[in-house]
Amino acid sequence: MFFISAKSLNDMLIGVLLTLGIFFLAESIYQKTGFLLLNPVLVSIASIILILLLSGYSYESYMEGGRLISFLLGPSVVALGVVFYEKLQEIGASLWRLVLAVCLGGGMSILSTWGLSQIMGLSQEVSASLLPSSVTTPIAMGISAQLGGIPSLTAAVVILVGIAGAAFGIPLLKLIGIQHEIAWGAGIGTSSHGIGTARALEESRLCGAVSALAMCLNGIFTSVFSFPLVRLMEYLGG
Amino acid sequence: MLRAFVIILLFLFIGEGIQTMVSLSIPGNVIGMVLIFVGLQAKLIKLEWVKPASDSLTRYLALFFVPPGVGLLLHLSLLSQYGVPILLTVGISFLITLASTAYVFHLSQKPK
Repeated sequence: MFFISAKSLNDMLIGVLLTLGIFFLAESIYQKTGFLLLNPVLVSIASIILILLLSGYSYESYMEGGRLISFLLGPSVVALGVVFYEKLQEIGASLWRLVLAVCLGGGMSILSTWGLSQIMGLSQEVSASLLPSSVTTPIAMGISAQLGGIPSLTAAVVILVGIAGAAFGIPLLKLIGIQHEIAWGAGIGTSSHGIGTARALEESRLCGAVSALAMCLNGIFTSVFSFPLVRLMEYLGG
Repeated sequence: MLRAFVIILLFLFIGEGIQTMVSLSIPGNVIGMVLIFVGLQAKLIKLEWVKPASDSLTRYLALFFVPPGVGLLLHLSLLSQYGVPILLTVGISFLITLASTAYVFHLSQKPK
């Protein structure tokens, strides 16, 4: 039981090399071009999926190595608490307005997803799966299950929304005339959880700290309010 | 550096432990994030103890999301099965959430 088989060791190496190598290339390309569609997370995920599909190398084998990298996700999220502590002084007086904005934004997320699902004529099951799409994966999957959704569909849309937030969040906010780092962090963290927060951190540590707080608050807000809000709308809708 | 990693991993462990015991819907790493912030604020731990690890971990946060993101591969058929209405719903709702949150903050900042 203390052995790691040669096959498994090879898979670990391939998974780690592929992830680090592609991410390194994607970051260099992004730094050279600065083109927002070439966001490193977006490019890395898309390229690795393509490589796996074309080569027939299985996802399970890739994850032997992938797991070693994504293990660090847990400690990194904990580390966001440290960044937030460091930036608390700078956030200071804005804190309560930030909490207000995140709760309103989180409420808008639930209401708009529910409303749009009705307009699109999606089934109850699918609507429930989409409802928590702005919060971090484990919270979203829990809410989805509670509402009678399909948790794996939820996981997929959560990742898509995160990638969208990372690639387009800040440019979109600049486009509508918002030029404040704290406002960017609030919008990104509320709408696109951890993947967005990673991008916000690249903008500045203040932006990242705000985004981490917004992600955390919206996660709690959504898990508490999505069920009552859906019931309320069903009641109002007759 | 080693001390910093040990402390951060300990907070993660405590967070995961609480999550399992209370069976909360909040993930263990988010609980750990709140706890380490409280620990720093209450001066139970010092910033220098954890800063070396927190700086390098957060520098590469985006990278750590790549393998779970590749997991999209498993859901491609599910996504294409439901297709465009799903993407429209999620996409428009994403835009509304992003803009309304940032805009509310932006408005609340302006002097009356």
